[in-house]
Amino acid sequence: MGGFLRRHKRIVPYLLLAPGLLWLAVFYVLPGIQMFVTSFWSGTLETGYEFALSNISNYTAALTRFAPQFTRSILYGGAATLLTFAISYPLAYTIAFRGGRYKNLLLFLVVAPFFTSFLLRTLSWKIILGDTGILLGPLKNAGVLPEEFRLLATPVAVIFGITYNFLPFMTLPIYVSLEKVDRRLVEAAEDLFATSFGAFRRITLPLSLPGVFAGSLLTFIPAMGDYVNAELLGNPDTTMIGNVIQNQFLTQNNYPTASALSFLLMAGILIAVGIYARLLGTEELTAGGV
Amino acid sequence: MHDNDAARRLDLTRRQFVAGSAMAGFTVFLAACGRSGASVAPSTAPVASTAPSDAASVAPSASVEPTPKPSTSAELNFANWTYYMDLDPKDETKYKTLEDFKAKYGTTVKYQEAIDGNDEFVGTIKPQLEGGQDTGWDLVVLTDWMAARLIRLGWVEQMDLGNMPNVTANLQDVYKGVTWDPTDDHHVPWQSGMTGLGYDKAKTGVLTSLDAFFDAKYKGKVDYLTEMRDTIGLTMLKLGLEPSKATNADCDAAIAEIKKAKDAGIVRAFKGNGYAEDLKSGDVVLAMAWSGDMVQALVDKPTLQFTVADQGGMLWTDNCLIPKGAKNAYTAQVLIDFCYDPAIAAQIEAYVNYICPVKGAADVLLATDPDVANNPLIFPPADILARLHIFNGLDEATEKYFNDQFATVNGLG
Repeated sequence: MGGFLRRHKRIVPYLLLAPGLLWLAVFYVLPGIQMFVTSFWSGTLETGYEFALSNISNYTAALTRFAPQFTRSILYGGAATLLTFAISYPLAYTIAFRGGRYKNLLLFLVVAPFFTSFLLRTLSWKIILGDTGILLGPLKNAGVLPEEFRLLATPVAVIFGITYNFLPFMTLPIYVSLEKVDRRLVEAAEDLFATSFGAFRRITLPLSLPGVFAGSLLTFIPAMGDYVNAELLGNPDTTMIGNVIQNQFLTQNNYPTASALSFLLMAGILIAVGIYARLLGTEELTAGGV
Repeated sequence: MHDNDAARRLDLTRRQFVAGSAMAGFTVFLAACGRSGASVAPSTAPVASTAPSDAASVAPSASVEPTPKPSTSAELNFANWTYYMDLDPKDETKYKTLEDFKAKYGTTVKYQEAIDGNDEFVGTIKPQLEGGQDTGWDLVVLTDWMAARLIRLGWVEQMDLGNMPNVTANLQDVYKGVTWDPTDDHHVPWQSGMTGLGYDKAKTGVLTSLDAFFDAKYKGKVDYLTEMRDTIGLTMLKLGLEPSKATNADCDAAIAEIKKAKDAGIVRAFKGNGYAEDLKSGDVVLAMAWSGDMVQALVDKPTLQFTVADQGGMLWTDNCLIPKGAKNAYTAQVLIDFCYDPAIAAQIEAYVNYICPVKGAADVLLATDPDVANNPLIFPPADILARLHIFNGLDEATEKYFNDQFATVNGLG
């Protein structure tokens, strides 16, 4: 065997790639193709489905009918990504530069909530944000907030939920980038009379951008498709496209529309990520090697 | 009291819960639904046969001679929802009723809590049903609308009521003659629940009218149900319409009424079992509610109340069905009938806490477990039963119309 590999060295990379490729082929490409075909069906569960290219109208119809939910997904996903960034950057910075011997403990604390289920974490927010819960209850009693004020079943709660649930996905990549920043560069900048803010702006921040880029992708993409937060923390006017896809697939048995919606979502994400990569520059990403 | 707790805490109906997590595997559903759809012509209801259609375990020669009484099979595959069968208090790994059945008939029931959602479960057996093959299940339990759909598709074995004297004698009248199975021999009710007003009487006082769901007084403090038939059904009753005969026009009227309430900010959210948590936390003071959940919720918060309104309430049922091509169809009928023995029904009911469709079970429980027997949510008195309505069995086109209209108000479309 070893002799064989030595003689056919060019095969080795393919052999190493094979498990991953096989996995992707079976669990991503094949279902993807099947789903693409499905999105061109018409008909119902009981009458059977017909494939026709003219059913591309599934796409236009879905886009028109579910435009509000698509828009909301982009808005909520985007808002949550910005919020996670605003929270994560200072957090990651503090851990990387000031963490000292508590660094590992602090990182553990960032990840610790992930040891419980996603659903339970989201449900905890229902308790915290409840109309007379531990947050709003005292404020209402003190007269700071009117009695009918609420956070649950509002867009704010949905965005908060998404933000919270994806926080580590932003924090960890940024931390890794910051951790790798060569401290001597910062010292050199300060030796050259840069203010500490100047050194941050011209040295630390640019060097950490690959982490920001990776973190925002890891947050934005799943946030766009999320439906659990909207389901648990939202109201009928905060539904996102993930809720619609779930409903179309599982309640309405409308597989063609659900498939078309899934592809539209994928396309939307690809476009958004494309624009983002353009703006931030992809070489930053590869250079960082996050 | 553990009934349904887990699912309820997760704030999704048990029907939706696994549905959600199954999204990752939605391709399975695609594979299951196939290109051809249901190739069976609708309403090829099995031809009435006098002999029980037990293919496997009876002697192969189906002669014209008076058929010998078929014998029960050695095993039976039974799929049901969670918390729908009584555990043996002495050995919680066993089901008392099924042990009793084995003692009497020698059949080992392979009982699995395999059903977590009507659509998801049927998705797993659809390819076999389409292909006319045995699904591997002899007995499954599905909700009215799904039962109606499967019967319409001809995917359900007809039962021989001659094998089921207990069912004939003890089925409550309110369940008889549903539009989707007028002869009552394709399904047998397993457990039911009522849909009505669930509220915190400390906040609202006693409520008896469905008008409360549309009252601006409770703005932002009312949950409706994600189950289309329940929400539209209660709204129709409020409007004086008859849900068991729901038409597209009725649907439009109900949707318009719901939309008004939603736009006025009265409706806080459309919920599955999650409304019970909302009632307990005080986030809502009124919800469209299921009786089975409320039995539990009342224990946690005694000021909660469940009422079937004066205008009426909805009755939904999970039904025993024998999938087409089941190997042990006769034994399945024997088991159903066994469970319709009032003593056995009482034994199940003391554990399950939903509504028992079996006459006489309450009398048995009166002696053994009067708390359960006297609970109006488990054994509703006759005047309440008379006010309950079973939603119309919609055909596919009408169902789609209703679902699409409902989606315009619940944010999903």
